[in-house]
Amino acid sequence: MILALTFTEASVIGLLVAGVQFGTLLYLAALGETVAEKSGVLNLGVEGMMATGASVGFIVAVETGSPWAGILAGAAAGALLSLVHAVAAVGLGADQVVSGLALTFLGLGLADFVGDGYTDDARRSLFRDVELPGLDGIPWIGEIVFRHSPVTYGAVLSGIVVWFVLNRTAVGLGLRAAGETAATADAAGHSVLRLRFAAVMVGGAFAGASGAYLTTYLVGSWSQNLTAGRGWIAVALVIFGAWRPGRVALGALLFGFTLALKSRLAVFGIEFSPILLDMTPYLLTVVVLVVISIRARNKPSPAPAAIGIPYRREER
Amino acid sequence: MTTPAVELDGIWKRFPGVIANSGANLTVRPGTVHAVLGENGAGKTTLMNCLAGVYRPDEGAIRIDGREVRFSSPADAIEAGVGMVHQEFRLVPTFTVAQNVVLGAAPGIVNRTRIDAEVAALAERFGFRAEPERPVWQLSMGERQRVEILKALWRDARILILDEPTAVLTPQEAQELGAVLRRMVAEGRSVIFISHKLDEVTAFCDEATVLRGGSTVAASVEVASVDAAELARLMVGDVDAPPVNRRDTAAGDIVLSVRDLRAIDTRGVTALDGVSLDVRSGEILGIAGVAGNGQRALTDAIAGLQRTVAGTVEIAGTDITSAPPRARHRAGLAYVPEDRLGVGLAPKLPITENAIMREYRALRRGPLLSWSTARTFCDGLVRRFEVKVGRVEAPMASLSGGNLQRLLLGRELSGEPRVVVASQPTRGLDVAGVRAIQQLLVAQRDQGTAVLMVSEDLDELLALADRIVVMVEGRIVGEFDARTTSRAEIGEAMIGSRRADA
Amino acid sequence: MKRLVLTRREIPTRGGQPVAFLFGLAFALLVGAILMQVSGDPAIDVYQRMWERSLGSTDTWSVTFNRAVPLALAGLAVSIAATMGLWNIGAEGQILFGATAATLVGRLFPDWPGPVLITAMLIAAVIGGALWALGPGLAKAELGVSEIITTLMLTEVAIRLITYLEQGPWKDPEGFGFPNVTARPPQAELGDLWDRTHIGVLLALAVIGAFAWFINRSVWGYELRIAGSSRQTAAYAGISMRRKVLGVLLLSGAVAGFAGGIELTGTAVRLNAQISNGYGFSGIIVAALALMRPSAIPVVALAFGAVQVGGQSIQTSLGVSPAVSTILQALILFGAIGAAVFSNYRVVALDRQVSVA
Repeated sequence: MILALTFTEASVIGLLVAGVQFGTLLYLAALGETVAEKSGVLNLGVEGMMATGASVGFIVAVETGSPWAGILAGAAAGALLSLVHAVAAVGLGADQVVSGLALTFLGLGLADFVGDGYTDDARRSLFRDVELPGLDGIPWIGEIVFRHSPVTYGAVLSGIVVWFVLNRTAVGLGLRAAGETAATADAAGHSVLRLRFAAVMVGGAFAGASGAYLTTYLVGSWSQNLTAGRGWIAVALVIFGAWRPGRVALGALLFGFTLALKSRLAVFGIEFSPILLDMTPYLLTVVVLVVISIRARNKPSPAPAAIGIPYRREER
Repeated sequence: MTTPAVELDGIWKRFPGVIANSGANLTVRPGTVHAVLGENGAGKTTLMNCLAGVYRPDEGAIRIDGREVRFSSPADAIEAGVGMVHQEFRLVPTFTVAQNVVLGAAPGIVNRTRIDAEVAALAERFGFRAEPERPVWQLSMGERQRVEILKALWRDARILILDEPTAVLTPQEAQELGAVLRRMVAEGRSVIFISHKLDEVTAFCDEATVLRGGSTVAASVEVASVDAAELARLMVGDVDAPPVNRRDTAAGDIVLSVRDLRAIDTRGVTALDGVSLDVRSGEILGIAGVAGNGQRALTDAIAGLQRTVAGTVEIAGTDITSAPPRARHRAGLAYVPEDRLGVGLAPKLPITENAIMREYRALRRGPLLSWSTARTFCDGLVRRFEVKVGRVEAPMASLSGGNLQRLLLGRELSGEPRVVVASQPTRGLDVAGVRAIQQLLVAQRDQGTAVLMVSEDLDELLALADRIVVMVEGRIVGEFDARTTSRAEIGEAMIGSRRADA
Repeated sequence: MKRLVLTRREIPTRGGQPVAFLFGLAFALLVGAILMQVSGDPAIDVYQRMWERSLGSTDTWSVTFNRAVPLALAGLAVSIAATMGLWNIGAEGQILFGATAATLVGRLFPDWPGPVLITAMLIAAVIGGALWALGPGLAKAELGVSEIITTLMLTEVAIRLITYLEQGPWKDPEGFGFPNVTARPPQAELGDLWDRTHIGVLLALAVIGAFAWFINRSVWGYELRIAGSSRQTAAYAGISMRRKVLGVLLLSGAVAGFAGGIELTGTAVRLNAQISNGYGFSGIIVAALALMRPSAIPVVALAFGAVQVGGQSIQTSLGVSPAVSTILQALILFGAIGAAVFSNYRVVALDRQVSVA
């Protein structure tokens, strides 16, 4: 299957750099979904929120000329859209699966509707890479790790912040409790509704920002169906990373490299269908799920126990 | 006179179809352990839930330290210094002890080593043993209760409500709890101790308030100066205790025989550690013990719902150890599980579909079910066992607890079983329901059926059973003749091996 | 001061769901209109056009009917899994693989006479759909792996599988280099009932009717409901949960696969990744709006079919983004969710109580 491999230093570095860039895209969305799921809300609307963030973010970036405004607008759009899911699934107790899927419809629809006039507006990436002085000169590592868009550094920082908030703060403790046994969090004085609303909207903001990063940096233009199932990879990543921000980051890099490798198979002379390679993140996630289930037989599963279960306090 | 720590004044609480509290009063002096006594369904838990902010009373006033308060959530009650340990624990299994304790009352940034140390110090101050860094899912029920109490203390609860705390404790652990409560009141806190067990009240409490039918029938009686029989009369009213249906005839042959049964539960902990017992036709064998000592594993194992790793189960000489649940039913086993709605019934399905759950295979015509026959069968059950139903198409969950249980037991008895295994068959039922279920079981016994009955209510076992065995940590630790034994003797056995291990 | 609190009704108001659905429809049309007005599109014209192009004439009725077929079948597939409390989110993937399997049969036996070939292709589609659900079914039955995620992931795999076939193994040699799968044999086309309405409409109704009847009347259906109640209740009644889980997911996949076969032989000419244009996902919304009741699924599917078909027409004629149709579908659901609150809950005004602490 592998013939005449043509690795050059530049092409390998190019692959790894692109892997980090794709990884950033996936990580932002998956990190947000991790927060939502940790609070007990499955949001299958990631794809839709990403798409809306992509189109709104692009439009704002183009109109203002500021990629930062684009990212912020994408995040705001994602958060606003996720509010619909929060109201339906958290506030009204509708089924999270159905509501999340409908959110994907809504998000994809809105993205197309809003972005309709911007399909021809192609530009180079709106972000400039930031080269961390001193570090970017290190051979290999400098290029792969220290020359990226500010969004990548922002994603790393966000991961650390999310980890810290979830594991080392009172709010995080309450949020995780809401995702494990909502009644317990409630009895302890946390407002489950408020925590879940906030978590869903944080998730929406991250997904929206991820979409905006896609259009303002990775692609530099907007077109229909640009997200192309990457929102679903983000959903998969949360499971792949066992709901832990650090492991989700590793998974995002891995899946990011797969996406990057896909378009470079020919460059490397690897005769393998890029489309079959494209399947691997999804298949890997299924495998990981199976492994988790086998392991969970004698200890609690890493999945938040209350995920998918609406919470409503007893009558009073 | 000092200002009372708690005053509940004329509390009314209505639920759809039920009045839980009708003008209940309660006054608790600071620095005392105050018992709230009453039978199941007397409204004790509802009243305490009003005080703890879980429910809002429809009428009446709540005063803490003389000031009137209105709670709209448990958080408000906690803020006012009221903490409650519910019967069903509110813990996060995957969190550590310390994380559970500080949940909702943690410093903004949670330093794990620091909270571990602080929780350990708190536990020590009140004489608890605690391992702050252990995850809660690994703890026993008694240990989990301690976490719950620590939670309240962490929030500096000045008024601690304990809802039937000893139900999950061995007598030994109950003694330890008593000591902890003493330390608490010594610091000027107040404890409200819900119970329906008189001996605990006399052992731990200073004063008692008795509820009956949702209202207060005796307020702040000093425990030291009142005699237990008087409290008992107040609790149950002037109604005589149900007539004890003793068996006149001798027990027959062994119908259910369990030999050296071993099982491991889902957490990998030994649930049954070599249980052997025989039940003869025409007798009721009662199983006593603190909840969570393997009773459920035992009945589930007999019914084929719990896997066993060793030992045998026989019905009338036929080995059914590895038979599936259906084969056991065919061999003559009827099973009333502890979790009626989660195991024995399908609450969202129509009553008819629940009624035929055992017999539906007999109603098949090819791949189809004969619904007319099913309907006739269901109507028969409803009539014979006096189940009060509206429409049989209504969901099972629309029935009251007593009627649910009548239908379930009726369905099980309609197959003319040789053995009835009933786990907590009367728990949570109203007085009429309890009476009806008990009479059905006694009637079965009198017809020559072998009955195995698990109950946490010792008085019920003493009234109904012929023999009583006690289970502790998955083992049978003693057997007693119900006619000659006493509560004290059985209570002693319930301490059993744990005291030996300690 | 008062505050509003929702309390659950013990028994939902009867007839609440049809009202909720109609409310959802009205809500969607209203919000959609606002959206279009804000962006400067003529909402009234758009709706009029959508109506004309979906339900306005017998010919457009045909297109709408044909579109409702995969939506209804996907909805049925979802509702089958739901009888046991399972979510088949991957009906989309099963539709795609069903169509793929049917295509395979068409490629193997291109010379068979039409009726025979169509039958064989539909059977292959059913088997294909079931096969695509086999993995998730086994994982759920044996290990308890969440079927929500596995079926979803396999959908993405199915899309890429077809893309792979298009570009490589099944590429049309006479396709001028375009990555298309060779067209199915021309005789493998479902006959029409009237106008362009194909026989698939009848087939779908028959499948839905048969399923509804079977689930209500059969021992198997009864066992499904018991097993759907709880794992332990199933064990108590002596019903093998594992076999039921596997069986129900296979059946669900089979129905979805059937939809793929109908699409291929009914409206499509060749297999491609858009042959199921999100029908599997729309089907979930359809099933949810129908409260998982087979009897209500065709009605909801027809409404969704009309919205979809109508939506496609507005771009060419009015220059309005067809995304309006996608937005409307989602809004119908959210509107209905909002409205359903009133049939499941009572709104009670309580005193806003202030704690004194």
